[in-house]
Amino acid sequence: MSLLELEDVSASYGYAPVLHGISFGLEANRAEGILGANGAGKTTTLRAISGMVPATGRIRFDGVDILGKSPDRIARMGIAHVPEGRGTLGGLSVRDNLRIGAYQRKDRKQIDEHIEFCLDLFPNLRERISSNASALSGGEQQMLAVARAFMAQPRVILLDEASLGLAPSTAQRVYDAIRRLQTETGVAMVVVEQNASLAFSVVDHALVLETGRVSIEGPKESLMGMDEVRRAYLGG
Amino acid sequence: MKNLLARPIVRLLLAVVIAVVIIVAPISSSSFINYQLSLIAVFAVALLGLNIVMGYTGQVSLGQSAFLGLGAYIAAYGVRQEWPVVVIFLLCCIIPAAVGLLVALAAARLRGLALAMVTIALPIIGVPLAKRFPDFTGGSVGSTVSWLEAPEGSGLADDQFRYYLVVAIAVVLFILGRNLVRGRIGRAFAIVKSNEAVALSMGISPYRYKVLAFTIASLFGGASGFLYIAVVQYTSPETLSFATSINLVAAMVIGGSASILGTVLGAIYFVMLPVVAGQIDSSRTALISGAALLLVLFLLPGGLVSLPRRIAQLVRGGRGGSPRSRAAADRPPTGDTAPRTTAAPEAEKQPR
Amino acid sequence: MKNSLKPNKRVVGTIAVLGVLALTVTGCTRTATDGGAGAGTGADETAAPSPGITDTTLSLGISSPLSGPTAGPGSCSVAGLDSYLEAQNAAGGFEFGDGKTREVTLTYLDDTYDPAKTVSNFKQLVGDGIFAYVGALGTPTNAAIMPIANSEEVPQVLLVTGATAFSEDQKANPWTFGLLPTYYDEANTFGKLLADAGKPITVAVLSQNDDFGKDYVAGLTDAIEGSDVTIVDSATYEPTDTTLDSQVTQLAASKADVLMSAVSVTPLQVGVLTKAQSIGWLPRIFLPSNTSTPGTILEPGGATAYPAVYSTSLTKVPASPTFAEDEDVKAYNAAFAEYGSKIAAVYTPHCAWSYAEGAILGEAFKGMEEPTRDSFMTALKSIKDFQAPLLLDGITVDTTRDDQPAISGLTLVQASGPGYAPAKAY
Repeated sequence: MSLLELEDVSASYGYAPVLHGISFGLEANRAEGILGANGAGKTTTLRAISGMVPATGRIRFDGVDILGKSPDRIARMGIAHVPEGRGTLGGLSVRDNLRIGAYQRKDRKQIDEHIEFCLDLFPNLRERISSNASALSGGEQQMLAVARAFMAQPRVILLDEASLGLAPSTAQRVYDAIRRLQTETGVAMVVVEQNASLAFSVVDHALVLETGRVSIEGPKESLMGMDEVRRAYLGG
Repeated sequence: MKNLLARPIVRLLLAVVIAVVIIVAPISSSSFINYQLSLIAVFAVALLGLNIVMGYTGQVSLGQSAFLGLGAYIAAYGVRQEWPVVVIFLLCCIIPAAVGLLVALAAARLRGLALAMVTIALPIIGVPLAKRFPDFTGGSVGSTVSWLEAPEGSGLADDQFRYYLVVAIAVVLFILGRNLVRGRIGRAFAIVKSNEAVALSMGISPYRYKVLAFTIASLFGGASGFLYIAVVQYTSPETLSFATSINLVAAMVIGGSASILGTVLGAIYFVMLPVVAGQIDSSRTALISGAALLLVLFLLPGGLVSLPRRIAQLVRGGRGGSPRSRAAADRPPTGDTAPRTTAAPEAEKQPR
Repeated sequence: MKNSLKPNKRVVGTIAVLGVLALTVTGCTRTATDGGAGAGTGADETAAPSPGITDTTLSLGISSPLSGPTAGPGSCSVAGLDSYLEAQNAAGGFEFGDGKTREVTLTYLDDTYDPAKTVSNFKQLVGDGIFAYVGALGTPTNAAIMPIANSEEVPQVLLVTGATAFSEDQKANPWTFGLLPTYYDEANTFGKLLADAGKPITVAVLSQNDDFGKDYVAGLTDAIEGSDVTIVDSATYEPTDTTLDSQVTQLAASKADVLMSAVSVTPLQVGVLTKAQSIGWLPRIFLPSNTSTPGTILEPGGATAYPAVYSTSLTKVPASPTFAEDEDVKAYNAAFAEYGSKIAAVYTPHCAWSYAEGAILGEAFKGMEEPTRDSFMTALKSIKDFQAPLLLDGITVDTTRDDQPAISGLTLVQASGPGYAPAKAY
């Protein structure tokens, strides 16, 4: 049984349907990519999982139905959503942001260890540990958002367009760190990304969305070999 | 200056001095001064509630006077019915909190202006409602009580006795309030205030915490109503009028939003400004108060609580970073990081 | 470097000094100001003077709304009184029953109609040593201090309010009573005019939805009992309403001959007058005295459209040409221009009322044989058939009744030209 399982999930904003029956499964310790153009329904898929848009169908997490549960409840169950646009707490320092990530936890010692782990993972953050989050660069903010999600010790991280608005080299550094996070901790991830080559640096399996439907899915190698994927999402 | 204040010995000494002043002040002061000091304690509690919902949680509430008035009416009614003081006090907390909870369950789904509008409605409905039930409220003439006389043999005058009672309750409520905003719940409030989407992704329900903040604010409002009756011994629809709410909001901002010390400063401002303005020119109090309000907001956008920092900033001139980063470093809500940030520059100073 | 002390010692020292200073400052005040309760010593043969009075001076205090929505009437309640007192001081002072002449000063504070501030102001005034608290405007504000005034035995007298609560039981509250006729009295006067007409008249009533409104309706109902006058419809309003159009429309459907518009909020009263005529309803109008001023109500409301507009009055209207040559009015206008105008910018009847109140105080001083509050109260409560300045003919002061304010007569007036003239029969 998959850790996270979507079955025939549909969602709409008002009268405009966005998702038409998406299904996929995410195994524990794995990372699944969701590729697709703007408006294909990638972000909506993540929002449906984390309970932020109403959806139909079936979403199970660890064998429990989570469709219809409130977003905070789903978060407490162990699904951490790193939204598009990062959503760091600008008025607080990097350290406070990380601490707040661990809000639901009570194991103080481990929290400090995990903060250290995050700072090792993202050395840029260590340099700016006392800075305001709002004073960080875009790349640093993205790192902080990912690290903060990790601080909640989730079982799944939903990562939405982590490369958005970043210079290619910065985006690559962010994804390198995310890959290390995934491989070293084994946390499962759903990685939504327009830039397939960045996504493939983390995921080994992916699906491609087109106007709210899964058009292709498969392991990284086979997808990379497909012409249409290469043309559309790998820039050549 | 701030570094020195951070030293435990200085803090302890300061606390002792303040405690001694608070305890000794009423013994030698006139009944008028004791009344002012007691009123400051009354409105500090109302402001603390308001600060919890507005300052710490970021939800506009223009209805705090309604809970103040409700608490005062309950207390006045309880006194007339000769209920025990403890029962009255508890009811003054519980009933306004319950009303606040009911309102918040409906209103906390709203944001910004819509929420402000709902909270405005409370005093606006409250005033005619209070006039409509004269058996409970005393109608427009209001409700006079005579209670909490100093016990025989205590050697205290009534005003001194009431001062001690009111200040003691206020201090306890302030300790509770401080622990609340410095603790886990306070952190959740800060997250909800800062970014609701982030709160959700942290597993914090903004709705639930807004309801909680509003309920706590109502509880403090009701408790301050009890204290109000203890000091003023009278209540009328004027107590819960909308103007009082607006003045409370102004006082909270003037004192310092999301700050315990700022809450006390706000209460001092709220009570003393009309008195001082009256000393200057009784027929120009509104003008003087308005000018003072603008002046403070202009010179100290962070409220009176930022005065020491502001002075330090002016003295030091340019060196020492942008005001913005310093303001943020001073912000306390996330527990033990604050001492650490203040400890660092202090360590640098030692070798000098 | 200049200072040899280490920083932390310096701060500790500063705090300690500050603390000691704070204690010394507060240490000086208690005994100096708390002598206020010494008034009860009147039983002695040689009565010790009460606070606030010397051989040459006497100080009075008042707390009224001087800012906020009630600032107009509130300021006037101070300005008229201050005008009278200062004019009399300038003319040599007040003569007292003990043969001395004293200058009488008035300390006034703003309470913005907030009872908690009134209590604060009252304590401040008493702490500063006023002799008596006089002429304050406002029902809740005066109600808040009534118990304190009576327990501390400080006179709280000649209050500018129409509520019955301050005068109805002067045995229970011997240190408190009002100046003005009550709302009940006013409506009762209207009712009598209608009943005396001796013919069937229909009345529509618009009143405030609280105990004042009930007082008002009760005064009318009691007066018309047994006559041919009937109340055909009634409506109420809240002072917080922004418009009374729907109430007026409802009442207009009754086509009543008379509209008693007991509305105490100026803009709303203007709205009633404009709305009724705009929908073609032109009854005779009865207005309460505090919302009947020609300049602020009648003119903007277009009152000339109605067959008759009645109100009650106690005093001559200083601005009215009818009284331009009146000696009282001339004296008032001169005094107000010199003293009162810096306190109140706009005239309301409260200016004239409180001016007359000054004269009543003067009359009480004349009868005051000892410099005590007891003696003052005795003298003040023994005034009968006194013709205070500005009061209309036939209205006199009688303070000897235990359940009535100082003034209880009222004169019916009728709008005519730019002001009011004595009313003709209905």
